[in-house]
Amino acid sequence: MSQTAMQNRRTTADTGFDVELREVFKFYGSEPAVRGIDLNIRKGEFFSILGPSGCGKTTTLRMIAGFESPSAGDLLIQGVGMNQTPPYRRPVNTVFQSYALFNHLTVAENVAFGLRLKKRSRREIEERVAESLKLVKMEKFSNRLPAQLSGGQQQRVALARALVNRPAVLLLDEPLGALDLKLRKEMQVELASLHRELGLTFVMVTHDQEEALSLSDRIGVMNQGKLEQVDTPDCIYEQPLTPFVADFIGDTNLFNGKIEGYHPNMLWVTTDRGLKMAVRPCDRGNAPTSGRVTVCVRPEKIGFSETQPTNSQVNWYEGRLRNVMYLGTHVHCQVQLQSGDYMTVRLPNNPAGIPAMDSLVYVYWPYQDCLALTSDLA
Amino acid sequence: MSSRFVSRYSRRQFLKTSLAALSSTSLAGCGWTLAEVRSDRPQTSNSNELRIYTWSNYIDETLLKEFTAQTGVRVIADTYDSNDVMLATFQAGKGVAYSVVYPSDYAIAKMLDLKLLAALDKSRISGLENILGKFQNSIYDPGNRHHVPVSWGTTGLIYNSEKLNPAPEDWDYLWQNRNTLSRKMTLLSEPREVLGASLRAQGFSYNTTNPAELRKAYEKLADLKPAIATFTTDAWRDQLLAGDLLLAMGYSIDGVLVAQENPNMKYVVPKSGSSLWTDAMVIPKTAPNPEAAYAWINYMLQPAVAAQVTERLFFATPNQAAFDQLSTDLRDNQALFPPDSVVERCENLKPLPQKSEELIEKYWTKLTSS
Amino acid sequence: MSSPASTSPSESTVSKDLATPRWLEPFALLGPAGIWLGLMLVIPALLIFELSLVPGIRPGEVVNPSGLENYFQIFREDVYRQVVWRSLGFALGTTAICLALGFPVAYFIAQMVPKKWRNLVLVGFVLPLWTSSLLRSYAWITILRPTGVLNSFLTSLGLPALDILNRPPAVFIGMSYSLLPYMVLILYASLEKLDRRLLEAAADLGANPLQSFWKVTVPQSLPGIAAGCLLVFITGLGDFIDPELLGGASSMTMARLIYNQFLGVTRNWGFGSALSMMIVLAVSLAIALLLKYGDRSSANL
Repeated sequence: MSQTAMQNRRTTADTGFDVELREVFKFYGSEPAVRGIDLNIRKGEFFSILGPSGCGKTTTLRMIAGFESPSAGDLLIQGVGMNQTPPYRRPVNTVFQSYALFNHLTVAENVAFGLRLKKRSRREIEERVAESLKLVKMEKFSNRLPAQLSGGQQQRVALARALVNRPAVLLLDEPLGALDLKLRKEMQVELASLHRELGLTFVMVTHDQEEALSLSDRIGVMNQGKLEQVDTPDCIYEQPLTPFVADFIGDTNLFNGKIEGYHPNMLWVTTDRGLKMAVRPCDRGNAPTSGRVTVCVRPEKIGFSETQPTNSQVNWYEGRLRNVMYLGTHVHCQVQLQSGDYMTVRLPNNPAGIPAMDSLVYVYWPYQDCLALTSDLA
Repeated sequence: MSSRFVSRYSRRQFLKTSLAALSSTSLAGCGWTLAEVRSDRPQTSNSNELRIYTWSNYIDETLLKEFTAQTGVRVIADTYDSNDVMLATFQAGKGVAYSVVYPSDYAIAKMLDLKLLAALDKSRISGLENILGKFQNSIYDPGNRHHVPVSWGTTGLIYNSEKLNPAPEDWDYLWQNRNTLSRKMTLLSEPREVLGASLRAQGFSYNTTNPAELRKAYEKLADLKPAIATFTTDAWRDQLLAGDLLLAMGYSIDGVLVAQENPNMKYVVPKSGSSLWTDAMVIPKTAPNPEAAYAWINYMLQPAVAAQVTERLFFATPNQAAFDQLSTDLRDNQALFPPDSVVERCENLKPLPQKSEELIEKYWTKLTSS
Repeated sequence: MSSPASTSPSESTVSKDLATPRWLEPFALLGPAGIWLGLMLVIPALLIFELSLVPGIRPGEVVNPSGLENYFQIFREDVYRQVVWRSLGFALGTTAICLALGFPVAYFIAQMVPKKWRNLVLVGFVLPLWTSSLLRSYAWITILRPTGVLNSFLTSLGLPALDILNRPPAVFIGMSYSLLPYMVLILYASLEKLDRRLLEAAADLGANPLQSFWKVTVPQSLPGIAAGCLLVFITGLGDFIDPELLGGASSMTMARLIYNQFLGVTRNWGFGSALSMMIVLAVSLAIALLLKYGDRSSANL
């Protein structure tokens, strides 16, 4: 009875989070890999951990899976503390970057692996294996050996092998990293539809920002063992909290400078190279009102003309066109400002409208389109 | 165009020839002789080098060094641990490197059979007159025309005199005291010696060819077998000294050495007689350096050298002059030099007809595998 | 092959003549190894096979193959059957012991010993191989004899002494000791390559360490296990020093029997050759089994 009571308490204490990390640290020797992460992943959410290699994202995932245990802090899965629980007792399953299929077993045997360990009946195993192979469109390959499959097919089998166990949380470690571009796009679509169909919590680790932006409900951006920002994809892109996030996600023009003046809704910043610009303060978190800041402007927000802009409501600067990169759907222009700064400007695909190299051009943007973030250098 | 024709023709011819060669050596096979020894083609070699092939306990550094000092000839000694290995070496054609070899008696007969041995030129050997009369005319090599005896000994029982009381005197002892000796005795790993002992225990000859007698010998041994720890020629020594074994069948040369180590260990030649063995020096027909070979034989015949070797390596010399130079201690050592009354009851192992040898081999396999 | 059409016929023949023909290339490449194998393995094996067809041939006699009499002899007489079974028993038993002891050791070295220590530990394990096998057997006599090292130790602990010298257990101990390093080396090579990610995958799917071991580690290292067992089995089949020195009065093995046929009293080389061919047959059978297993697992790779 007391056990049921415990479970009830757990359920009532259920915060709607499938995975919770509280002040989690991981050290390898004295080397910190993860430095104090607080993270709540909601039920049914597609959550991506995004960051450059070596940022601690894989270590974080491995702690959730149980292959590593936190050096400090707490890890909860479905409200239950899991710090010391071995991987085989966790309600999670992982799709590995290398797929890690058992090469001595057929596709069907691979998928049945988990169910057999749980001593399910033969019929149930057969049914569920067939069902999950069908889910990933691999039902025709059930008697093949992994070595006889392509990378994409192996990926699907790995997915089926994890999903067949109906885990509470599906962990995906760079699941598409080894696939070529076209296949990756295809699999992204399938992952998204699988997630919709199954309603499971997905936690994916990736270094591919596009993948993260297109698939995730929320993204956690990691840098040097810390979570820099956890937000929806559009917030991550439009309203980065730190210069690192701004720089890592998409293309950004960054200027380091100092706040010269402060009005509600507007800051005056002078950059280190002497450019003066009006900037919108970050409207979330502790927005800086004085001191050093980093100003970021997305290339696509920047206007471009050969004549001097007349609108006084915009920041505008004179420069020379130094470089043009044709990217198909659009064009990237590099403009050298008089201050010496280079800026990237993204123009719609209209090569005819681009002025001659080294000609005088003006770049401009409204103050609302640039953001002042507390400088990393502070 | 013509060159192509020629090359193709010759290729085919080559194939044909090599196939023929292959088949004549191995496939068709009729008419080749197994391990034919080419005794008519002596190897030439450095005249300052002598290769001898001998038992490991018959030589030491001192012996080799002194010979080199006397003659200036460098000696390379290779060793073997059974006559069979030595014979096999010769039959495989690898014996051509050696100028002096040390076969035991029946091996001399075999080497003679195989026409491996050169007749000795007695005019080039001095000191032969010192060899005791009973070693002057071997049954294996009448008139000693091909060999010079260098040592001799008997087969007997080496036992722990502290624990075995009364002491063993004859082969019967093994059967009578099998409970005391159970798994505490070893016999030689030599079919003829072991069957011979059993033959002798029943009053038959070591050299019998009578199948009935051989069968009786086997049966008596099979009866004893549960009490035998193992058949071994060497591995009994430490176990006997440590007290784990009470008795081992062995050669006198080993018996003497063990007794030197622990006076409680005694060597006895069974009363009803045992086998008598001689080791000799011979010169193979293929000897690359017969000159040095004669020098070596003469050196070994020097009474002083033979005496020293006996003192140092404990093997009985058949050289009367050397015997006279030995310390009284050694001369009175009955294990090393048993009295004539004992020696008279001992037999040399003679080569047997193939039928008898096969029978012995079969009994031996039975004995060691059941 | 359109260009030869433009050249004159005579030219093409000349160029064909100068260039090595295509079919010859593999022969040229495999030639040295082939000749070596032919001279050192195939021809001697054929010679022995031919000898085995001559009943009772001795050195110096004319080889004249005349039938399978030597082979019949092996199976006609109980004695030889006993010897065959004993040899197989020693070899198989040793293989089982080596596998049981060698696997944990190899696993430990490959998966748990820090990388920088691994070679040292391995060398330590292989070290016994550098001593002569005769010496090793004598060492075991010293250890196993009634008042030897082992029994002194047991008695000092108040345990009963063991009488195992000159009995089959002593043979298993001696042979296993000699052959264990081979097993460990081969298993190590196979376990070192073991993909840890597969173990993680197994754990992730709910396998506890023991289940991971049986369902992943063992199947993954099966080729190594097979190779190790084969090597130990073959070497064990050829060992006669350990059985003879440690096994007591009833320790005749195939290898010793063959030795006796070639170097012993009778010198029956024909029968010895037939026995040798039996061993070659047993070994070939073992290799065939390995290949069958090996094929399946290599297809899996």
